Amino acid sequence: MRGFIRRRLALALVCLGALCGSTVLWADRLEQPAQPAPQATQALLLDIVRAGERLIAVGEQGIVLLSDDQGERWRMAQVPVSVMLTAVQFPQPQLGWAVGHDGVVLRSQDGGESWQRLLTGRDINALRTLQLTQQLADLPATVDAAQREMLEYALDDALAAEKDGPTTPLLDVWFRDEQVGFVLGGYGLLLKTTDGGQSWRSLGHQADNPDGFHLNSLLACRDGSLLIAGEAGLLLAPDADGERWQAQDSPYDGSFFAAIETDQLYVMGLRGHLFRSPDGQDWQPVALGQGRTASLNGAVSNAGQLWLLGQAGTLLQAGPQGFQALDTVSRRSFSAGVRTGQQLVLVGEGGISHIALDTTEARP
Amino acid sequence: MSRFFGLLAPVRASEQLLERLLFRHRPAIALLFLLATVWLGWQAAQIRPDASFVKMIPTQHPYVTNFLDHRDDLAGLGNSLRVVVAATEGDIFSADYQQTLKQVTDALFFLQGVDRSAVKSIWTPNVRWTEVTEEGFVGGPVIPASYDGSAASLDQVRSNILSSGQLGRLVANDFRSAMVEVPLFDRDPQTGARLDYQQFSAQLEQQIREQYQRDGIRIHITGFAKVVGDLIAGAAQVGLFFAMAIAVTLVLLYLYSRSITGTLIPLACSLVAVVWQLGLLRLLGYGLDPYSMLVPFLVFAIGVSHGVQIVNTTTLEAARGADSLLAAQRAFRAIYIPGLTALLSDGIGFVTLMVIQIEVIQDLAVAAALGVAVIVLTNLLLLPLLLSWRGVGATAIRHLQRQQQEGSHWQALVVFTRPAGARTALLVAVVLLAVGLWGGQTLKVGDLSAGAPELREDARYNLDNRYITDNYASSSDVFVVMVKTPVQQCASFPVLDQVDHFQHYLNSVSGVQSSVSLADVSERVTAGLNEGNLKWRSVSRNQYVINASLGFVPAGLMNSECSLLPVILYLDDHRADTLQQVSEAVALYGAEHNSEQARFLMAAGNAGFEAATNAVIGTAQYEMLLWVYGVVSLLCLLTFRSIRTVACIILPLALTSVLCQALMAWLGIGVKVATLPVIALGVGIGVDYGIYIYSRLNTFLVQGYPLPEAYLATLQTTGKSVAFTGVTLAIGVVLWIFSPIRFQADMGILLTFMFIWNMLGALILLPALTCLLRPVRRAPAPVTSVAQEIDHAVQ
Repeated sequence: MRGFIRRRLALALVCLGALCGSTVLWADRLEQPAQPAPQATQALLLDIVRAGERLIAVGEQGIVLLSDDQGERWRMAQVPVSVMLTAVQFPQPQLGWAVGHDGVVLRSQDGGESWQRLLTGRDINALRTLQLTQQLADLPATVDAAQREMLEYALDDALAAEKDGPTTPLLDVWFRDEQVGFVLGGYGLLLKTTDGGQSWRSLGHQADNPDGFHLNSLLACRDGSLLIAGEAGLLLAPDADGERWQAQDSPYDGSFFAAIETDQLYVMGLRGHLFRSPDGQDWQPVALGQGRTASLNGAVSNAGQLWLLGQAGTLLQAGPQGFQALDTVSRRSFSAGVRTGQQLVLVGEGGISHIALDTTEARP
Repeated sequence: MSRFFGLLAPVRASEQLLERLLFRHRPAIALLFLLATVWLGWQAAQIRPDASFVKMIPTQHPYVTNFLDHRDDLAGLGNSLRVVVAATEGDIFSADYQQTLKQVTDALFFLQGVDRSAVKSIWTPNVRWTEVTEEGFVGGPVIPASYDGSAASLDQVRSNILSSGQLGRLVANDFRSAMVEVPLFDRDPQTGARLDYQQFSAQLEQQIREQYQRDGIRIHITGFAKVVGDLIAGAAQVGLFFAMAIAVTLVLLYLYSRSITGTLIPLACSLVAVVWQLGLLRLLGYGLDPYSMLVPFLVFAIGVSHGVQIVNTTTLEAARGADSLLAAQRAFRAIYIPGLTALLSDGIGFVTLMVIQIEVIQDLAVAAALGVAVIVLTNLLLLPLLLSWRGVGATAIRHLQRQQQEGSHWQALVVFTRPAGARTALLVAVVLLAVGLWGGQTLKVGDLSAGAPELREDARYNLDNRYITDNYASSSDVFVVMVKTPVQQCASFPVLDQVDHFQHYLNSVSGVQSSVSLADVSERVTAGLNEGNLKWRSVSRNQYVINASLGFVPAGLMNSECSLLPVILYLDDHRADTLQQVSEAVALYGAEHNSEQARFLMAAGNAGFEAATNAVIGTAQYEMLLWVYGVVSLLCLLTFRSIRTVACIILPLALTSVLCQALMAWLGIGVKVATLPVIALGVGIGVDYGIYIYSRLNTFLVQGYPLPEAYLATLQTTGKSVAFTGVTLAIGVVLWIFSPIRFQADMGILLTFMFIWNMLGALILLPALTCLLRPVRRAPAPVTSVAQEIDHAVQ
């Protein structure tokens, strides 16, 4: 660290000599590369996935961490932005996607070592305006007034967003393969690409989400169907071509933060609410146990087992007698996790946590 | 002799004038002294302990000026107190405990000197919880309005604490104690009166600790005000040490002089000096700072050391047949010039401490210099006057004559005036110097241990401090960076975004535990506004969201015109290295990124001030040494007009200084406000020995005596009293080692060491250097005996 400081000091002195110290303006976080930080493993981290044998976690300040030894040691990847990254996904071991605040979409083609910025909120705002203007212009005169009104309303919205700047965060990303993928986020933002991120289409305005609720999580089921879980109990499923997303009957009017599939589908969210369904249609509430009202942020499923994680150190393991709390010592919130061998590697408020599964004492 | 004191001609003239004045109007002058003593004694009796937070920090340092410029906006980030109420059995969720916590909070709230708007505990309304429900974002005070002490409402308190984010801050991690944060005003904002730390600390003890500590409840208090209070309380024992020092000096003086008057008069005159010094301090508006509590000791010790010289010379004269008056008069004549030179060196040595821009050290310089000035009057004038009435007595004269006949035990030291002995002594000195320089390399500036290093490790304060560090997450070492923005811009997105990055950068600096700023509040509340979703815990780019997120900003995270936002860094500790690393990192960031939009200014918080203090002391310690040695050397040069002589007197002192630094490093004592003055004091006092010995030695040398003989004669007259003085001074301060206050104990060790080494340096190294540096010249053969020459010397 001292060497680091000394090098920077030398830089600063050079800078002072040229009198640039007083005039340098702060570069926007969309332009500022993520800073190397020795404490990155204790920073706020929000998502973690596997890419082949590698673990990749993302979080605040543009931090992307890589581990090649199942989460023991971590190093930082090269990231061109320092906005908070909220989700990461690798459809193939080498090809990965990460999204974050200010509408940033990043792609890595080398297993997460380095990342390119493909989109920012500015691009999203521009492409939405362009697309909606086009759609309105292309609209046949015979189309019914309601649909025209809907498009006009969406265009107004896009124009307002363009004025506000890239303020909308992206909250999840999922790619089916090299070509087809979705990014989704706040205020009903939903984009789709079918050419590996070359071009994007905004789908948010034609989703069944008139209030513009946040889209928090996208689940791809084994049978190929998709489910978006969102704010205020919003559940969306796409039509056959994946263009129009329809609202599903929801068992809850509070927010869902995550969805996962084991033998059944689970959606979970605010204040410890968990629902289960065999088909994504018929949802049954699942009791977590007395007093477990912390919000659930994520889940880990592995070999038929299920762990739920959430606020204030909540970590619940599904068992024959219902859910059991695993002792996590800290009260820091968890956001996501993966299982590696006999342990869970979780990310959240305190950064990376390791929870050993064989020695963990279960509390009733 | 006049050749030597040529430049001091006016002083010599004053000597004659004074001698006439003094010995012709003895009763009148004695009466004048008596009246002055009564008056100043009355003043001295009213002197009060005094301490101030601002006096302890370098007010000229940019960190502190930055803080003082914004102190109104930084409530609670300056001088604040932490009071912890701990439940020894069970936890804090009992009606009884909560009642006590409420009472303690209220009692602290009403103490004079407390910044009431910024007091914080779970019982104050400025501490709130927030929670996300299906209905949205709700919140309220931690103690609900409906609180009635029932199990249900205590449960409510527990869950409110969990959602208030205060676990580890205002409530201990183990739920067994809770904290009240109490920011203090150093000066009352209405009346401008300074906070009386002694009284405040006593109130804390009586109205908080004694009042509320009982079975099941323990009170822990930390903060600057308590450190100072404990220091002042501990300093009361200084009186005891003072009495012991007087008793020891009394016995030693008698054993040395075998004269009742020769014992009581120097003692009384030195005490008069102390009384005058304290009285004058009080008249000048000073109080007794715990950090300058040792000055009266020094004044007393210096007084005794000069007194002994006079008694010794008077006895010598009396032994030669002079009557009381003549003996005293001759002693005055002989001692006045070297005494004045020595005292002047002392005083100027102390005054050089003024270069350090820390008020408490400057006050110490004033107090010590004043004391030395007073000694000129009491011990150089009053003492021979008093001696002239009764003389030293026949026993003393016989004792001296007997000693002179024996005289042989000084012979051993004469070996150092011969080339072989001198070279050996010098070789040893060079080796010691090398050892000292090597050992002194590890000398550190600032605090080296946790808690309050002024107090002993097992002092109650440090135990309290350890309890708090062990049970609370936020460290008590707080370093505040002030981010200055244009008015109404402190919460704009670009500023918060930059502050967010700044914090991220600083969290990677080793020594920084965590940091808090408005950006964190905005992030947390933004997540809260989005149902607590962690993925929203980022500064929003939407200014409306930011504004909405700042509905409940805790006090002290922005100022009222929104042009200043403090970034509070919690550090691992306040060791000098840690502080330096953090300040360097912040300075670096500022150099790279300061702009119109945001300027990153250091520093407030106790660790910030300490960083400033360390910076000032780090440069001042060398500056001070340069001044001390420069001034003392110049004075010696003026007196003796010989570079060689200056070298003979100064080099032994320099060796002592180097060894003292090595000792400090070895004992783990850092250079800080409390210990910085030691070396200047040591040099100031040490130079006396050299001046007395050299001036007497020179008297013999100019008359053509070979060095060994001249030195033996010096030893039998002046050397004897120098040795005695060194031992007496050392004994006076060695008792401090038993002080309950660690820094006094440290001072005791260091001063004892310096007094002894300075004495040895003057008795061994000075003649050795004189031997080696003296130009070889043909000295005329001595015509008279040494005994006769002693006669000449004093005439």
